[in-house]
Amino acid sequence: MKAILSISLIIFAGCGRPAGSDGQGKGVEDGAKPDATIGVSVLTLTNPFFCELADAMKSEGAKHNFEVIVTSGEYNVANQKNQINDFIVKQVDAIVLCPCDSRAIGTSIGAANAAGIPVFTADIACLAKGVKVVSHVATDNLGGGRKAAEAVIEMLGGTGKVAVIDFPEVESVILRTTGFKEVISKAPGIEVVGYWPGGGDRGKSFKAAEDILQSYSDLDGFFAINDPSGLGVATAVEKAGKSDRVKIVSFDAQPDGRKGVKEGKLYATIVQYPDKIGRKTIDAIVRYMAGEEVEPEILIPCTIYRKAHADADPTLAADKGQ
Amino acid sequence: MRSSRSHPVLSRFTANYGMLGVLAVLCLYYSWATFQRQHPTGDDASRVLARKLARSVDQKANVLIAAKEYEDDIRFAESLAARLEGDRFHVVESVNGEPAAIRAAIERLLAAGTKIDVIATPKSSQLLATNLKKRIPELANTQVVVPDDYWWPTFLLGGNLLGVANRIVVIAVIAVGMTMVIITGGIDLSVGSLLALSAVLTARLIAIAGGIEATPPAMVFCCLAAIAVCAGVGAFSGLMITAFRIPPFIATLAMMEVARGLALMITKSRSISDVPGSFDWLGLDADLLSVPNAVILMALIYAAAHFVMSRSRLGRYIYAVGGNRQAARLSGIPVNRVLIIAYIVCGAMAGLGGVIETSQFTSGDPKSGLMYELYVIAAVVVGGTSLAGGEGKILGTLIGAFIIAVIQNGMNLTNVESYTQKVILGLVILGAVLLDTLRKRGWRRLAGEQ
Repeated sequence: MKAILSISLIIFAGCGRPAGSDGQGKGVEDGAKPDATIGVSVLTLTNPFFCELADAMKSEGAKHNFEVIVTSGEYNVANQKNQINDFIVKQVDAIVLCPCDSRAIGTSIGAANAAGIPVFTADIACLAKGVKVVSHVATDNLGGGRKAAEAVIEMLGGTGKVAVIDFPEVESVILRTTGFKEVISKAPGIEVVGYWPGGGDRGKSFKAAEDILQSYSDLDGFFAINDPSGLGVATAVEKAGKSDRVKIVSFDAQPDGRKGVKEGKLYATIVQYPDKIGRKTIDAIVRYMAGEEVEPEILIPCTIYRKAHADADPTLAADKGQ
Repeated sequence: MRSSRSHPVLSRFTANYGMLGVLAVLCLYYSWATFQRQHPTGDDASRVLARKLARSVDQKANVLIAAKEYEDDIRFAESLAARLEGDRFHVVESVNGEPAAIRAAIERLLAAGTKIDVIATPKSSQLLATNLKKRIPELANTQVVVPDDYWWPTFLLGGNLLGVANRIVVIAVIAVGMTMVIITGGIDLSVGSLLALSAVLTARLIAIAGGIEATPPAMVFCCLAAIAVCAGVGAFSGLMITAFRIPPFIATLAMMEVARGLALMITKSRSISDVPGSFDWLGLDADLLSVPNAVILMALIYAAAHFVMSRSRLGRYIYAVGGNRQAARLSGIPVNRVLIIAYIVCGAMAGLGGVIETSQFTSGDPKSGLMYELYVIAAVVVGGTSLAGGEGKILGTLIGAFIIAVIQNGMNLTNVESYTQKVILGLVILGAVLLDTLRKRGWRRLAGEQ
């Protein structure tokens, strides 16, 4: 019996403090009762993109006196199922999901529907049929692709030959290249010599770029569909000694990509705004709860990140100081 | 445990099921920690609200009933309308719908010159009603009335308790096979991957057998086929372990990689969802007293396994093989056959777990079951089974599985962050096993052994 007592002490020591006794207090002033509770389950909290998204939802939610509870499925839809069940039991007012699996999430969204809780998706859409999602908030990848084409035209001064490092297995990348084609085909001076698969990966894109530089000695630039492939291309260009002539536009504006722009390896990268996705999602919830019509899809526009932005970027300045 | 010595029955009970106390403490703790305001729904909400209106609102008030459009709220609106009509109130309209539809209905009523004195709404639409009151000037004098909250532990809500049982079904079912394997002195690391293999095989076979138009018998056959494949993989592991003396850890580690790879190959790493909606019968439906079918299946499996392990010859053989393999062989027990059977059962249970998971999601996901082997082993060990083999109880494993489920559920209900949850779960598993070790050692010392 003594032993059982000791184990219960261990458990209390473990759970007592973080649990609290009222289960409240995140994103809301002490003592105040929140107007609404929002349950969030993101794909993972190990990727800065989703951390920014979740933080933005918390801070934006606090402005409206919402309590925002953030959990993470960590790529496992079974975890998300349990988290959603617990949200339903807690009678949250709305659920926001970045589904770990666009189809398998369907039954859980169905359960939330049956409990009368509105569901919103952020960044990753739900593809399951027969369930209701109030609104999907995500990056406008099509528009981002158009912006990338504008950046390429600007980079080449309106004339030149450009190669594309592609990754057509991913839905969002297909949208990016579609937008890119749409705008670049209207620029008379620019010729796209072709699309090569780079797997969204630094190593693969490096090899692809080496081969392309061999076969097109008069090439002027690249568009790479994300930062790792852009940086892989940059290494190949450097190795070929063509850094002066061949320039690169990439996508995502991850810290590595922004650094590449600052160091001149990349001409520009296209910025996605996870924080805006988070804020717009909360905004959609607020409007929904005021009885307004909410668009089924809300797209966040991308912008171009050039050297001037990199020079003024405080996160990179701190980096340089080290 | 001096008192235990004088009560042999009690002593045996605490030795076998001491973890029941831990489970009870956890349940009590989370009941206390989640003692919160609850919002009544459905008919309860309408009864409470009707009484509140009768008490606090002027006679002949014009009442608008506004609620969402789902089962509980529809029942709320219907029964409240019936209750208020009998009273002195005038129900101008009862709306069930999306917030935008409710807003449109209110604007329509106001445009037609109807005065709304009271908006009666369940808690779930209170925010909408107060928002509308702020935004629509004609509602400035309107009262928003919601049913009063009551206090009750969220943990002890019926829906939550069933949810706890439901969330652990897959782990608990696999843990049956794992308990047998661990009692033989072995281990099976392949169960998580086998679950994924079974999940994608089930989904793929059903897709072949007619996709969303597959018939129930065809679906049952597909499930059995997937379970049989997993049992076959288990048999293969068992064969490697017995015939070639490969350590169980290594043999099943290899099968873990093989099965995961096969699952990814079959699906090209995308989940398969060409499954009829009715396939969720096992994982989501509840036919008997609102207990989910999967939970009933789990209970049946535990009853059968408890019988096998405590009353049948196979059960005795499994304990004997794990206790002392040499002695078992000398006393004529077919050691190799017993070992292979244990791994077959474990594989089949992982296969069944995969079928349940496919049913819960109506899709087969090759990424499912990641890390499940560790949760399953944790459930078995927390349940009092010794990794050295030879001792353990099937029902102990069930308790172990529930301990893990209660901790996970309780931490979600009390808003513990994801990372902290991992730390706590790890410490609790360690603590539980430590307790078990201390208890056993202390008991031996007191009994005067060594």
